Amino acid sequence: MLTEVTGDRALWLETTSRFMETACPMSRVRELVDDERGFDEAWLRQGAELGWFSLLVDEAHGGGSVSGDGVVDAALLAYECGRHVQPGPLLPMSVVAAALGRVGSDEQRATVLPALLAGGTVAAWAPLDAHGRFDEEVGLSATPTAGGYRLDGVRGTVQDAHAASWLLVTAALDGAPTQFLVPKDAPGVTVRPRACLDLARRVADVRLEGVEVDTRTLVGAPGGAADELERQLEEALVLQCAETAGAINELFARTVQYTKDRIAFGRPIGSFQGLKHLMADVGLWVETATAGAHVAAEALQVDDPQAAPIVSSVKAYVGDVGVDVVQQCLQLHGGIGYTWEHDLHLFLRRVTTNRALYGDPAWHRERLWRLATSSAAVPA
Amino acid sequence: MSDVTVTNGAPGDVELAEYRQRVRSWLAANLERRTGPLRIAVGGPDLTKEDVDRQRGERRKLFDAGYTGIAWPKEYGGQGLSAEHQRIFTEESADYVLPVPGGIAGGVTQRIVAPTILVYGSERQKQEWIPRILSGEEIWVQFLSEPGAGSDLAGIRTRAVRDGDSWVLNGAKIWSSGAMAADSGICLARTDWEAPKHRGLTWFRVPTDAPGVTIRPIRQINGNAEFCEEFFDDVVIPPEDVFGEVNGGWPIANDMLAFERGAETENTVAPARPSPGPLAPDLVTLATSRGLEADSHARQRVARAHVNDFLHACLIRRVLAGIVTGKTAPFYASYIKLHAGAITPIRANIAMELGGTDAVGWDAADDDAAVPSTNYLNSRIIAIAGGSDQVQRNIISERVLGLPREPSYDSDKPFNEVLRDAERWGSTPPGGSSR
Repeated sequence: MLTEVTGDRALWLETTSRFMETACPMSRVRELVDDERGFDEAWLRQGAELGWFSLLVDEAHGGGSVSGDGVVDAALLAYECGRHVQPGPLLPMSVVAAALGRVGSDEQRATVLPALLAGGTVAAWAPLDAHGRFDEEVGLSATPTAGGYRLDGVRGTVQDAHAASWLLVTAALDGAPTQFLVPKDAPGVTVRPRACLDLARRVADVRLEGVEVDTRTLVGAPGGAADELERQLEEALVLQCAETAGAINELFARTVQYTKDRIAFGRPIGSFQGLKHLMADVGLWVETATAGAHVAAEALQVDDPQAAPIVSSVKAYVGDVGVDVVQQCLQLHGGIGYTWEHDLHLFLRRVTTNRALYGDPAWHRERLWRLATSSAAVPA
Repeated sequence: MSDVTVTNGAPGDVELAEYRQRVRSWLAANLERRTGPLRIAVGGPDLTKEDVDRQRGERRKLFDAGYTGIAWPKEYGGQGLSAEHQRIFTEESADYVLPVPGGIAGGVTQRIVAPTILVYGSERQKQEWIPRILSGEEIWVQFLSEPGAGSDLAGIRTRAVRDGDSWVLNGAKIWSSGAMAADSGICLARTDWEAPKHRGLTWFRVPTDAPGVTIRPIRQINGNAEFCEEFFDDVVIPPEDVFGEVNGGWPIANDMLAFERGAETENTVAPARPSPGPLAPDLVTLATSRGLEADSHARQRVARAHVNDFLHACLIRRVLAGIVTGKTAPFYASYIKLHAGAITPIRANIAMELGGTDAVGWDAADDDAAVPSTNYLNSRIIAIAGGSDQVQRNIISERVLGLPREPSYDSDKPFNEVLRDAERWGSTPPGGSSR
């Protein structure tokens, strides 16, 4: 559990978890490995009916959550996604819907947002450069034209770009970050799918060559997207860390059970101190990562002014130990853990991919240093 | 505090707001603010008797103002207020230096011994002992580990023998933090050698000035002497100082150890969501003083230490929230202890790496320059004292994860036989054929 929940919230979470088990169980996740889209459209719409994409959007714009604490609810949902290694664009659609709810134009809120909330349209969030770095505007430029702007550059490792109708991109306009909601079918947009370690996820590179967009595609003010982009990053990381927490909790629980069942040398292997002590350490990583993922969600929920260092600390930790957990769980399984039939590698792939996306642990540690030393008055 | 009314229901918002205001004013008027961050650190300069007496006086002020044992029953010197009142005080006092007489021994007294007395003491013991502890009048330590029994605590050999109504204690204890400053020790002794090891143990209160008690400080690798060893030679213990049931000492020991690991719930409320504080200020200062701002390895190390510190606070909050609400067993507190045991040496080593040659050779007149090496020397204390990392891993794997127990060679037979068989270990393997 990410945290103890009660009442309507527990009921909603239980319903969501049961829906994942029936609509997209591990057997379906495996079938979707060879599916071009990678997720079922009906699953997406039914998830939307459970409120999945509304959680980070306020009620005035069609959003809302069962508890009123939408960020924590979204983290609870992401945790379940991790437990069930769900495919599909939960993270990008949540982040884009939240952005449109906050700073989208009236037109975007009236047309695109309702379609996202209903799960009828997919939107992709494209914050990374060609090498997967989260370096704000680097790699994509916006040039003013008579009717709007021309976009040139590349966005890398864009989750679910292949299925998306809309791309939320950040471009440099005179060096200042500016966000656009670009229709994917705009002339000059090319989506090139990449192979992904996570078999239940689709990523692509998106090339924008002389893409002409009008001012109605602006999300927020020209040149003023820095704070909004920061918020998007924080939301994405809260969802990602909660998802990793869900994945490692589930895999670790299965691993502990396996060592109770597996017999060697006349004993359950889980009775050997060499393995018990390893599992105590893995349990510690799992508990600490889960504790951090919960705290990050709560910090964002209350708009903690320290959200940036909190979220980066949690990502740095969860990214690192998530991989340690899946590696040691594989070790504890022995040869069976190396087989395609065993579910273990689905968790391993998800957790390892999450570590790399939206700033890896080393990038977030650098960011912690930058945040700390740039806010203090440093005499020249 | 006569204007605080205790009702049967939950305290009202207005009452709590007023309480918070009163706490805030009192703290500002009476206590010193903490300088520097709260750190996971063990070890410090040795306390003198004068230091301890001064601390007792400061503690008395806190007691007289009604800010000790806030949620504890009035008949035992507490305030009889709610857990919410305690939470408010904990929050408001976080930035203040709270007077705890006796340094580490004082922490043991307040955080481990007193809650155990509250649970297991007789009515008379609770009325007599707890107010003296809360007020700072008395410092109590644990007489627990022995030269021959540390991790295997149930294997202790200090003996207490009945003599009429009284008991006579003989043996030796070790690693008693701060016993030099203590007034009493709570001592675990073997009272039945024919019973299996866990079923022949009894707790006694032993005044440190009782005839036959000798206490000696032990100098540690950091040069300090906060641990002690004690020798008991025919120490006579009156019947009123038997604590808990005779031969029923082991369950008490388990709970006491859980308190030590942070599971003390009567006096503790789950902490609020932790705030990260500034990036490891001591390490930033150290790195900056050596011109390492442009060294990404140095920046990574500093940030890693900060991340560990913050995630430790997150873990404490998660574990205590589970224990306080009864959702998880007190054994979960072992996660907190194991994490502290893991990250404290890492952090100390990071400071040594950042300090480089300055951390191994420094100007003897510069006390600050010795801090990294002092912390480094102290850093494994927490991985050993109060149950080593390995003991925590046993507890977690068996009690939290439910993994099968270790095969036991000593749990079911009389302790006398355990000692005899152990001496023959190797010549007659106990488990039948060897693998």
